[in-house]
Amino acid sequence: MKATIERATLLRCLSHVQSVVERRNTIPILSNVLIDAGEGALKVMATDLDLQVVENMAAASVDAPGAITVSAHLLFDIARKLPEGSQVSLEAAENRMTVKAGRSRFSLPTLPRDDFPVIVEGDLPTSFELPAKVLAELIDRTRFAISTEETRYYLNGIFLHVSEEDRPVLKAAATDGHRLARFTLPRPDGAEGMPDVIVPRKAVAELRKLLEEALDGNVQIDLSASKIRFTMGGEGGVVLTSKLIDGTFPDYSRVIPTGNDKLLKLDPKSFYEGVDRVATIATEKTRAVKMGLEADKVVLSVTSPDNGTAAEEVPAQYASEAFEIGFNANYLKDILGQIDSDTVELHLADAGAPTLIRQDDKSAALYVLMPMRV
Amino acid sequence: MPQIRRLPEDLVNRIAAGEVVERPASALKEVVENAIDAGATRIAVSLVDGGLTRFEVTDDGCGMDRDEIGMALQRHATSKLPESLIGEHGALEQVITLGFRGEALPSIASVSRLTLESRPRGADSGWRKVVDHGSTVADEPAALPPGTRVRVENLFAKVPARRKFLRTARSEYAAVLDVVRRLAMARPDIAFTLDHGGRRTLAVGEGESLEHRVSAIIARELKDNGVSISLERASEAGVMRLTGIAGLPTFNRGIADQQYLFVNGRPVKDRLLTGAVRGAYSDMLARDRHAVLALFLDLPPEEVDVNVHPAKTEVRFRDAQAVRGFIVSGLRSALSTGDRRSAQSPDAGAMGRWQSEPVNGEWGAGKAGGEEPTGPYAGERSLFAGEAGAGRNRVGEAAPAWQGEGTEMAAPLQGRVAEAGPAQEVAGDFPLGIARGQVANTYIVAEAADGLVLVDQHAAHERLVLERLRAAGSGASVSRAQALLMPEVVEMDEPACDRLEDAAGKLAEMGLAIERFGPSAMLVRSVPHALGGSDPAKLLSDIDDDLAKHGEALLLGEKLDLVLATMACHGSVRAGRVLRTEEMNALLREMERTPRSGQCNHGRPTWVKLSMADVEKLFGRH
Repeated sequence: MKATIERATLLRCLSHVQSVVERRNTIPILSNVLIDAGEGALKVMATDLDLQVVENMAAASVDAPGAITVSAHLLFDIARKLPEGSQVSLEAAENRMTVKAGRSRFSLPTLPRDDFPVIVEGDLPTSFELPAKVLAELIDRTRFAISTEETRYYLNGIFLHVSEEDRPVLKAAATDGHRLARFTLPRPDGAEGMPDVIVPRKAVAELRKLLEEALDGNVQIDLSASKIRFTMGGEGGVVLTSKLIDGTFPDYSRVIPTGNDKLLKLDPKSFYEGVDRVATIATEKTRAVKMGLEADKVVLSVTSPDNGTAAEEVPAQYASEAFEIGFNANYLKDILGQIDSDTVELHLADAGAPTLIRQDDKSAALYVLMPMRV
Repeated sequence: MPQIRRLPEDLVNRIAAGEVVERPASALKEVVENAIDAGATRIAVSLVDGGLTRFEVTDDGCGMDRDEIGMALQRHATSKLPESLIGEHGALEQVITLGFRGEALPSIASVSRLTLESRPRGADSGWRKVVDHGSTVADEPAALPPGTRVRVENLFAKVPARRKFLRTARSEYAAVLDVVRRLAMARPDIAFTLDHGGRRTLAVGEGESLEHRVSAIIARELKDNGVSISLERASEAGVMRLTGIAGLPTFNRGIADQQYLFVNGRPVKDRLLTGAVRGAYSDMLARDRHAVLALFLDLPPEEVDVNVHPAKTEVRFRDAQAVRGFIVSGLRSALSTGDRRSAQSPDAGAMGRWQSEPVNGEWGAGKAGGEEPTGPYAGERSLFAGEAGAGRNRVGEAAPAWQGEGTEMAAPLQGRVAEAGPAQEVAGDFPLGIARGQVANTYIVAEAADGLVLVDQHAAHERLVLERLRAAGSGASVSRAQALLMPEVVEMDEPACDRLEDAAGKLAEMGLAIERFGPSAMLVRSVPHALGGSDPAKLLSDIDDDLAKHGEALLLGEKLDLVLATMACHGSVRAGRVLRTEEMNALLREMERTPRSGQCNHGRPTWVKLSMADVEKLFGRH
């Protein structure tokens, strides 16, 4: 294999794929990227066996087609440090790959391409398109609630499913057992009959990063019950394929309260800032903030055994009976940070019941938060 | 159809023997208990081959006459339930002797060759009866001093099924020794001797104090590293009394083999008691370390049922919660004061190292690298031989540093603080003394009225922060309940669910709300906030293991304590930080004020004191 490529192109492409590669691997070839030189273009591919990213980049010239694998982080670091605007030549021969740019020369160890694992996609019967912006918002609104606890693996991702309500919808949900985030959008064409799938956390994170550079176009999504493929940027773009979490997402619709009659409306920004301020007092392990709801105001307070107390009054619209409820300040802030309008609605029932939070009744995103005993 | 028959007497005895006598140690226990019940003041035990071949118990108790000897070998014949009690309802509940079943002697006699010789006090001659596996082979006068001598030979010689399960002489001897030690501890007023194969392995005198006896048997260091406990609590049923000696948390062991518990003078192994002990020591000991102690619990006989098991090693309490609470609070209050006593001395091994090194002629010889000690402290470096030390200084070079005390003492060398204050400042009311300096930026050296105190600054401060957090109620804030969005169903077997359901109230106080969900599943509604990220199923099964083992859910509290301890660790002064004299003194004063500050969260000492006498010993001045 022998090819020459713009340093900027190589760097951008490697930055996309290298984060898929785990820093520490028991299988040596998983530390490598596959570089496949074809007609006028290079294909770069990285995988961690569950997730793979393939990107095509235009080469300045391909002198000899071929494929080789080389350490992803090494090549990325080299590309980063090469002078801007330089042409990088990659040449593989005798178990080595020579990287040349300007006056620099590197000779890197390689592993044969035939050993490189490729996820077998199989048949992906469902396919639809979503605007990249919508997909990005779907991820943003839900990913903070994804559980990081490995034992309940089925919560370690975003759950996607379609349902028929007054109109056909596609829903995305994530929960860690204490809070729930749900995002609803009209069902795209082609998504009907889609199996329920859970997209793992790492795939979500990588996808979100890739979307950042392709926000204008559409994303093609193809999936089966066990694999999902996102294609961005059309031809020559990036393709991310991931295995799906093999588990059953709990029936979360039951926990979304419908009869919460106490409605609190307030400005999410000042609410967020108030919570953030009073939580300064709380120590790292005790992030409980108490909300005292009174007529047209909320009194936020935190009591810490060693740091004293804090209280702040936030103006609000509230007309039901006064009561107190506690929340984990971080959870509350996570949710409030997602609301970008002037008001947020909190639907409460009592100090022990789940609380529903949303921008208004038309918003696509909806959050449920469990209170904390304070 | 098989016929139902009454079994012959010797077979009945042999069956009974299976319950009471399973190995030489258990037979010996019965015989020694008889001697104690007979009012003996001296009990001599001698054995051959760990009791497999022969053991003999001689006492100077009340003795028996010829007729009584015959009776004693009958089943269910005993002198220990007085006439007045027999027939009365609840006679067994008022038993004050160790035995009462009247089974032991005939049982032993049915599986061995038993020689019973006895002479009542005041009688001019004794009597001997020899029973070989149930049949009398001799019944004749005998010559012996007043008292009783019981000899058991060839135990299980004719019961091959039993004999097969006996261990080696060595392990049978270990079991015998354990039995004798426990009984000897229970009765410090009685002299005990134990001879094994002509060697005297245990000898304790008559009329000793409890502390003396216990530490003589367990470990001599226990007397110096323990607190004695004496506590009474009156309840409606009578007076409950807890005495004994509890090792300081710093005096711990890797296995729980030196926890001796006695209920009404009876050595018992009871999981309620071991659970209570662990509860009392929790947060002072690491989970895998165990306290050393001997506790004597006395309570009205009707409050405890000892007739649970023929060997009487298990007991049941009428009010188990009260007993547990009594033990935990008694131990904790004793331990909260005990650890500030000046007797907390470095262990013998460390002392030995300190003393031996100067003899080698070269300080820290053969140790490379490490930090160089300052002039004033050069003479003390061998204590830190593990980390400090370079082969440069010889004794001869260290000496001038000592002579230059007046001028060089005040000069901090290599970043260490040295106290320049006047030495007269030492006041008697500061048990931990006045800080004189800091070694390796980790240990505070303080001078107390009666010796030299070394304090591990990180361990000590960590403990203080933890105690402060706890006093401020941080325990409650880490255990705030975070409700679960979707209650978690945890499937467990039915007994486990029953146990957890019983403990649910207590767990709910710590933020873990669980309820029964069908016969074999539990529903978790909320988890303690600080453990929010953990797996409820794992948590529940761990708690259940703990409940099954100790009868008490200590685990959840311990896990929350661990969170607090981690907070304490992050909030405390690290090793390696230079402290100013004022800071060191403030730390010492706070340690004196804070209970349980003598050990870190893992049971290691936070400070040691080298008494003046020990210091003088190091210089050959004693």
